[in-house]
Amino acid sequence: MTDIKDISNDKQGAFLDRWASGEGVAFQNDGAKKAYQYRCGLIKDAVQLKKTPDRVPVVPLEIFAPVMLYGYSGKEAMYDANILGKIYLDFTRDYDVDATAIAPMVMYGPALETLDYQLYKWPGHGVKEKLSYQFVEKEYMKAEDYDHFISDPTDYWFRIWLSRTCGALAPLAQVPPIYGTMELPMAGPWLCTLGAPPVQDAFNALLKAGRQSFEWINTLGQYIGQIMASGYPLYAGGATKAPFDVLGDSFRGTTPLMMDLYRRPEKVIEAMERLVPLMIGTGAGGALANNNPLVFIPLHKGADGFMSNDQFEKFYWPSLKAVMLGLIDHGCVPCCFVEGGYNQRLEYLADMPKGKCIYIFDRTDMAQARKILGGKSCIGGGFPISLIVTGDVRQVEDETKKLLDTAAGDGGYILSIGCAMDEAKEDTLKAFIRTGKQYGKY
Amino acid sequence: MKDTQLLTQAIVDMEEDKALAMTRQLLESKTNAMDVFTAYQDAMAEVGRRFEKGIYFIPELVMSGDMMKTAMEIIKPYLDESGAGTVEKKTGRILIATVEGDIHDIGKNIISTLMTLNGFEVRDLGVDVPIDRIISEAKAFNAQIIGLSGLLTLAFDPMKNVVERLEQEGSRDSVKVIIGGGQMDDQICRYVGADAFVTDAVAGISLCKSWISGSI
Repeated sequence: MTDIKDISNDKQGAFLDRWASGEGVAFQNDGAKKAYQYRCGLIKDAVQLKKTPDRVPVVPLEIFAPVMLYGYSGKEAMYDANILGKIYLDFTRDYDVDATAIAPMVMYGPALETLDYQLYKWPGHGVKEKLSYQFVEKEYMKAEDYDHFISDPTDYWFRIWLSRTCGALAPLAQVPPIYGTMELPMAGPWLCTLGAPPVQDAFNALLKAGRQSFEWINTLGQYIGQIMASGYPLYAGGATKAPFDVLGDSFRGTTPLMMDLYRRPEKVIEAMERLVPLMIGTGAGGALANNNPLVFIPLHKGADGFMSNDQFEKFYWPSLKAVMLGLIDHGCVPCCFVEGGYNQRLEYLADMPKGKCIYIFDRTDMAQARKILGGKSCIGGGFPISLIVTGDVRQVEDETKKLLDTAAGDGGYILSIGCAMDEAKEDTLKAFIRTGKQYGKY
Repeated sequence: MKDTQLLTQAIVDMEEDKALAMTRQLLESKTNAMDVFTAYQDAMAEVGRRFEKGIYFIPELVMSGDMMKTAMEIIKPYLDESGAGTVEKKTGRILIATVEGDIHDIGKNIISTLMTLNGFEVRDLGVDVPIDRIISEAKAFNAQIIGLSGLLTLAFDPMKNVVERLEQEGSRDSVKVIIGGGQMDDQICRYVGADAFVTDAVAGISLCKSWISGSI
């Protein structure tokens, strides 16, 4: 794996070039290599705000949609790597997208079962077998845990948070912190606790889930290899999150965190500051491991309606901005998936170095997004999923053209659906892609 | 300014410790418990107004709701003592549910809280609620409005099915159906056959209030 330092010092362009060259991909033939380079080139030009020589990149941002389109259930996709891999391979070729889904985002059901995973419900485990997984938000971190989190996030994360979000790992909470291992006389309590049967069970469960996931990715990886070998890049190399969303989604929960803004604002800010380097490392690590600079950052709880602009400026934006700048410094391209509406926040998003990041919008007014961010950052999205799921071909064609007229400008735009796509219809999705390629020419 | 008005102000300003201290102090100094309760109601109404104006957002909404909850624990024994009832006329009856298949509840809970603050009698059925239950509970509750929530696209069809069931049972005309969630738009509103769609709580409240004031 490349060392993070190797591509620091404003090496985003170099990383994009390396990715777009297809270095390390065992292409099926020269045509596939050229196609891969062409597709990556469209995205690279969009990021760098160049006038694209050809057309807008078309990247629908599918997750479970291919599963449903090929007649499989969410459960089948999550329990059989061959089914999942085949679905994504077929989808990518049949729909001929410019960058395709990250199949591992679907995850492996048996590994989740081993962990007795509580953070999500998944097909056959709390949601119907035909559906996709869904998040279970709870107050996994208590208000009184802030000091522990702030002083040592990794210790808190591993022993406390994992013990609350994975039933099989609950005994980890009984293990003392690792620091006694600095000296022989103090190492004893730590090792002795590791030997306790419940703790052994917990570690065994963790090892088993790891083995299951490893076997799964080895099977799935062959399909991902084929997808890339036939000329299709993946739409992200890594993923990370805004520190506020880490706390709000996975640790405190929305309601407790929103009250924390009044009850312990300084703790919230401190916790988020602690998360900044961790989130940079998480995103950059994935990007480097996969040799793909695009780092996906889904934004959740800073949207219009969640908080005031003052609160956004104080609590949400500074740590997100720091994560984005840190990723750029590591040569990565932060790709924020801006869920909900950001009509009140566009000026903040504009405050980034020119041509270094991507904002994919959900319900934001795309004309405003173009006006405020045009010439500054690459934008994308804005197409309503409602039309893909319930509309007809004509409606989709018209809306795609309208969106391109509004948002494509003279470059710096990626055509995509405004939300992570879990379902679609074949005719409307194909119409979207076809119209994008035909009408999105510059 | 009267003491109870100062209390209202403290709540509206999100001064939690001050508000709770004042609440205890007022009750101990024999201020009528009903007046203390009214101070909270006035505060919640003001918070709601500020929410509608885009001055306050979710942090203030959940903070004030939590302050009121804590205060009620303190006020309740005094209310019982004075024998004062808290019966008030409700604005209207709304049944709220996240539809079958979807387990998201943040948006639903916000709208539920806001509807209650706005004087609605709310029956909140929770998440992943089967169509049969929505229909039967709506009937039992004599709901004037059915509010269907859903974050994911998978919510579209269950919402549509609720409206179809209402039509089949001949009760569609006697109830308004409003759908809410991140991916709701005019297209989905027509697809579902709902009376309206909203993507934020404020719009939902004002619409439901206007329906009730126009007597549905």
